[in-house]
Amino acid sequence: MEPIAKNIMVSRFHTISHSATVAEAVRAFKEAGGPGEKRRVFGMMVVDEQGNLIGMLSMYDILLLLRPKHIHIWADMSDIDISGIIDTVCERARSVKVEDIMTTELITVSPDTHLFAILDIMLRKHVRRLPVIDNGKIVGIVYISDLFYFLYDKLAGDGL
Amino acid sequence: MVEKHSMLSGFKVREAMRRQVLSLPDSKSVGKAISLLIKYKISALLLTDGDGRPSGVVSKTDIMNAYYADFPLDQELRSIAAASPITCTEQDPLEAALEVMRQNRIYRLYVYDQAHTRIVGLLAYPDIVGLLYRLCRSCKRNYLIQKGVREEAEVIRRFTVKEVMTPNVQSNRANDTLYTLMEALSQYRFGAVLIKDHSDNPVGVVSKTDLILAYKHGISPERPAHEIMSSKVHGCEASAYLAEAIQQMIFSDIHRLFVYQDRPENIVGVLSFTDAARVRSGSCRACLTTRIKIEDQGI
Repeated sequence: MEPIAKNIMVSRFHTISHSATVAEAVRAFKEAGGPGEKRRVFGMMVVDEQGNLIGMLSMYDILLLLRPKHIHIWADMSDIDISGIIDTVCERARSVKVEDIMTTELITVSPDTHLFAILDIMLRKHVRRLPVIDNGKIVGIVYISDLFYFLYDKLAGDGL
Repeated sequence: MVEKHSMLSGFKVREAMRRQVLSLPDSKSVGKAISLLIKYKISALLLTDGDGRPSGVVSKTDIMNAYYADFPLDQELRSIAAASPITCTEQDPLEAALEVMRQNRIYRLYVYDQAHTRIVGLLAYPDIVGLLYRLCRSCKRNYLIQKGVREEAEVIRRFTVKEVMTPNVQSNRANDTLYTLMEALSQYRFGAVLIKDHSDNPVGVVSKTDLILAYKHGISPERPAHEIMSSKVHGCEASAYLAEAIQQMIFSDIHRLFVYQDRPENIVGVLSFTDAARVRSGSCRACLTTRIKIEDQGI
């Protein structure tokens, strides 16, 4: 099998609307990675009303939103009562719109992009998933773990 | 002003600096910088030239000034950046770095490695406050600890908001234009102005963050304040304990509280998180000299 995007990508992909809230997005993560699915989902492609890819939402984007501004100071203030802070922070995050925190600098590949070109992008840009676009349409997504899995047998020396 | 033999004596910059320094090539756009500032909840970015060398700094204030000057969002950052970044090295004494901040009236220094070849950190004023806080709490001379005051609550009941707040709050009218607000903020020590209605009642707050978001969203600076203000005024009572105010800021994830007396409409001061944390540090009789003060710093 040729080592190119279309042979590594997942074509049963999930997307989320830009107008969804963080709560809806995380529910979508949970469903997409629910029982019977082979992976847990920590990120998704964000689409507009026409289904065009306009951003990526990752766990990291949500974690950045959650990180309190002054944590480097008050983490040491053991005399301040912060019980309940997790609930408060999560509650505030739930209603934030996906479009306000998503990454809009998109990096995509085409179905024919070579495995090593994909690997190079993933390592340089610190991303673990890349949308595969054909003629402006989303056709799949490549995960770094699937890329590694593609090389599994060869790396292990099995079947030699 | 830092006195000799303060609690910070002997500390080096590298012990208080943070190592994550966000930077952008200076050929990138103002719009891109706004996205990063908002996403990472920070107040400035380091700029780098074509060779990756530090070439400038762009802060929320610089971006606000670009908005004021009607620059387009795709303007290159190098054209709006302040002069080259003010730096120190990681081996410098912390007190010397504080003095540089004071003299230049800034509250962040970029930190070079010892060989002066690359930027390895950022020393921000709140980070020094954080360090002081840690030192104070572990200090053997802390008289509250000496006296065997075990009850933490005893320690925090020493200050009220009124003692620490800054009186004289900058306020504007709900129908003042964003231009007017930016003029007010550029002269002001704090990062936000209080918005009042015709009867002098507080109705909202506009921060520098709100302004750079308005810029990003293409809102004309001729629009009135009430269109972009946050309608919640986070306030606390002047007689409240400082600890309660800090707790409120932590839970609301905000930098400042508007302080009121008798009734919420009667705003008499403003309290920043850093001011609050600073006073709680080095505040016992053992080392009053440690209480650092940098004049006219807007934190």
